[in-house]
Amino acid sequence: MSRDLHNEIKTKLKDDIMQGALTKFAEQYPGARLKSYENVGDGSQEAIDELRDDLRDMKLRTVDSIEKYADEFQKSVEARGGVVYRAKDGDDLKEYLIKIANENGVKRIVKSKSMATEEIHLNHDLEEKGFHVRETDLGEWMLAVAGQKPSHMVMPAIHLNRQQCAKFFSQELKEEIPSDIPFMIQTARRVLREEFRAADMGITGANFGVAENGAIGLVTNEGNARLVTTLPRIHVVIIGYEKLIPKVKDIAKIVRLLPRNGTCQRMTSYMTMIDGPTPVIYKKDGEWVEENRKQYVILLDNGRLKAAHDPKMRQAFQCVRCASCLNVCPIWTLVGGHVYGHIYSGGIGAILTGLLGKGSMEAFGQFSDLCIGCRKCVSICPGKVPIPDLIDELRHRNVKEKGLAFPEKMAFQHILTNRKLFHTLLRTASLAQKPVQSGKFIRHLPLFFAHLTEGRSLPAVSDKPFRDRMAELSKNNPKNPVKRVAFFSGCNLDFVFPDTAENVVKVLQDLNMEVVFPEAQSCCGKPAIGMGDRDTGKVLAKQNIEAFEKAGADVIVCACPTCAETLEKTYVEMFAEDSKWRTRVELFAAKIREFTSFVAEEYEKQGRLKETEGAEKVTYHDSCHMRRGLNVWKEPRALLKAAKDVDFVEMHNPDKCCGMAGAFGMRYAEISLPMLKEKLNNVKNTGASTVAVACPACMMQIGGGLDQDLPDVKVKHIADILAERL
Amino acid sequence: MEKVCRNWPKEAFSKDLINPNSWKEFEENAKLAAAEVYRLPDMAAAKEKLIELLKSLEVKSILAVGGDEYPALDKLYKDLAAEGNAIHTEKFDIAESANTADLGISTAEFGIGETGSLCVDNYSYEARVTSMMPPVNLVFMNADYTTTDVDTAFDVISKVFDKGYMGFVTGPSRTADIERVLSLGVHGPSRLIIFAMDSGMERSDD
Repeated sequence: MSRDLHNEIKTKLKDDIMQGALTKFAEQYPGARLKSYENVGDGSQEAIDELRDDLRDMKLRTVDSIEKYADEFQKSVEARGGVVYRAKDGDDLKEYLIKIANENGVKRIVKSKSMATEEIHLNHDLEEKGFHVRETDLGEWMLAVAGQKPSHMVMPAIHLNRQQCAKFFSQELKEEIPSDIPFMIQTARRVLREEFRAADMGITGANFGVAENGAIGLVTNEGNARLVTTLPRIHVVIIGYEKLIPKVKDIAKIVRLLPRNGTCQRMTSYMTMIDGPTPVIYKKDGEWVEENRKQYVILLDNGRLKAAHDPKMRQAFQCVRCASCLNVCPIWTLVGGHVYGHIYSGGIGAILTGLLGKGSMEAFGQFSDLCIGCRKCVSICPGKVPIPDLIDELRHRNVKEKGLAFPEKMAFQHILTNRKLFHTLLRTASLAQKPVQSGKFIRHLPLFFAHLTEGRSLPAVSDKPFRDRMAELSKNNPKNPVKRVAFFSGCNLDFVFPDTAENVVKVLQDLNMEVVFPEAQSCCGKPAIGMGDRDTGKVLAKQNIEAFEKAGADVIVCACPTCAETLEKTYVEMFAEDSKWRTRVELFAAKIREFTSFVAEEYEKQGRLKETEGAEKVTYHDSCHMRRGLNVWKEPRALLKAAKDVDFVEMHNPDKCCGMAGAFGMRYAEISLPMLKEKLNNVKNTGASTVAVACPACMMQIGGGLDQDLPDVKVKHIADILAERL
Repeated sequence: MEKVCRNWPKEAFSKDLINPNSWKEFEENAKLAAAEVYRLPDMAAAKEKLIELLKSLEVKSILAVGGDEYPALDKLYKDLAAEGNAIHTEKFDIAESANTADLGISTAEFGIGETGSLCVDNYSYEARVTSMMPPVNLVFMNADYTTTDVDTAFDVISKVFDKGYMGFVTGPSRTADIERVLSLGVHGPSRLIIFAMDSGMERSDD
């Protein structure tokens, strides 16, 4: 079924209850998380990273030999009297489960939270077969009553408020339940206690399964998993292969991180390990009897083993399902997990959706473009899963299999790869926009384009692109240069912000460097690569590499971090398997330097990086690609602090995405605008008269917002600020 | 009573793993997780404190385990019974009264400084029911038995954990599923009270 994402987004953005909950949570989470890590080593990022590396390495070692560990796990469970079944998919699992339920005369089932059972829609099928099934996690229980899916793996009902919860309570219990939280909790305790006591079978998931002794682990706060595994006479564990770990000691690697990242606790209330059948006392024909509980462990594949053998996708096994990638995701915290997700939500959710079960790729394709690649999730993920990279890879596979939609295909494969045609079109646009242009902006568009300029002006394509200005600028090249620099402008600086591009050249010439501009350079390819079209990316890469090889420069400077990251990193990855091009690509990539970090290094050498005081309040916005893609964030600040007359002030959340993210800002204007609004608000609160950026895409977004909301505040590229002071 | 390990100190503890100096951090983190912690010199002091609790909680029915392992606890349970309290220590009795008892008394093997967690060996059904079903769980531990961190805790556990049911308990049962408001006692106890003993936790098999 095709989803109408724009409509879903619109509905969620208007859901004030959810918006209030997510905004508050997004604000509180980062600090609370860090607090829980304060007593890990010295509490530094390095100490946290050491734990993360350990976890990642352990999980990768396991996935390398996943069959071996699965065999060992099975043997361990069986040696202790448990029964193991390996289910290849959801249908297989359900058939087996229904069979054992019938064999054991089961009528009532209690469950503690398991995303794997959500993944295969287990409850629905069990209920259809006449079993009485109850979720016992409070959030899951309410959602089951409401007929909704979890919007978060750890906080399934975060999108609801107490009044809505009370409504579901009343509906289920057929009596009026007031929206008083303690009262609701006690009511749930009373009602669910009866469910636990009457149940014949308990079904749980598992946070881990230990190969060496067959133990499974359950990490919970409510304690429902302990009751599910204590009171009923049968215990069924549904565990995905990705949860297997080699040794008991490896559990520490998971539980030192999972609670801290998941719920900002040093440990959850209950961390339970169950190994083999354990005693149960229950009434049999009116008499108390004690016997060993029957234990069935079902290992679920459903796409997991294929992923385990995939050199790229195996990294998804590093995930411990803490869902912290959602908590810091600028998209999830705006639209929630029902929009950004299918069954699993957020960034990791997109990946799991693409890998697991029937129709996985199709479900993935419906919402996968919501990841903006800001890499905030990567900076905190306990298992260091490179989430945006895996999403990119899946997008690429999806495009390879199904092809691009016609407009993208046309734009990428026929226009972007033909530089002359592309540039001619841009020049034509600069003429065509005249009727709607006012100064450097387009403030209003007619008819069905009108929404594009709501809340944000669009920059006008310049009359005279940078490439037409370079001949004049070349005259100022120094006679005896210390370096020969080739300038890669990228499309934005060339056609939208040529004044800034000029300033880049001026700053470099002032450093006694000769600047050349290879005319045959083209788009870096990121717009196509980001949509999964790597073939177009490769065509453009080859054009650019050829153009720059001819320039014979010492370094290639780039004042757009997205281009810099693409040229330096993505090109190398794209040609890793290409023996003919690999070396050329690596030589090219080794010369790439991001503008601010390059200039800061040179200024430092010349003693020009001394902090000064000034009157002009300037704040700085970190571009996602710059901060987390290139790890450059100190240098632009050092340049600003050293700039004459500048009083540098930090804004709140300087590294939170401004909402542009390449074409995303246009494609999902409805999401992009609230992100922009938040950014503008943070700018406003600093009282700064200038926002400095080092990325032309951020400059476009923030500049467009300032033009409509805060016309007295200017956005400037750091190159502009530096050039003004030469 | 069935256990993962019959004698943790003998089989799993060693000087490099168990560090009494972690007590302060354990106490701090346990309290951070909403546990109530009392450090007590001996069983007489424990009894006094317990009787105070029985009164204030208006306890009518108690589940209690660990008497077979710790003679001083066995004596305490018998004394309480003799003084007219309804205290259930036999497994079928515990099963029968599980849903109506107001207090469960159980034991922990050791505490973890880094997290304030109790490591509990709950192989037996009665130990699980005692610690989970009543609204208040009182846990006896030896105050000297703490590990510095979770890694060390698993060094200890990995020596003896071959099969059974065990884990960590860190504060009372909690949920934040409604509006992220912290609420205690959703399925398990709403109060976790720790009696950390300086003496009195000598074992029957020592």
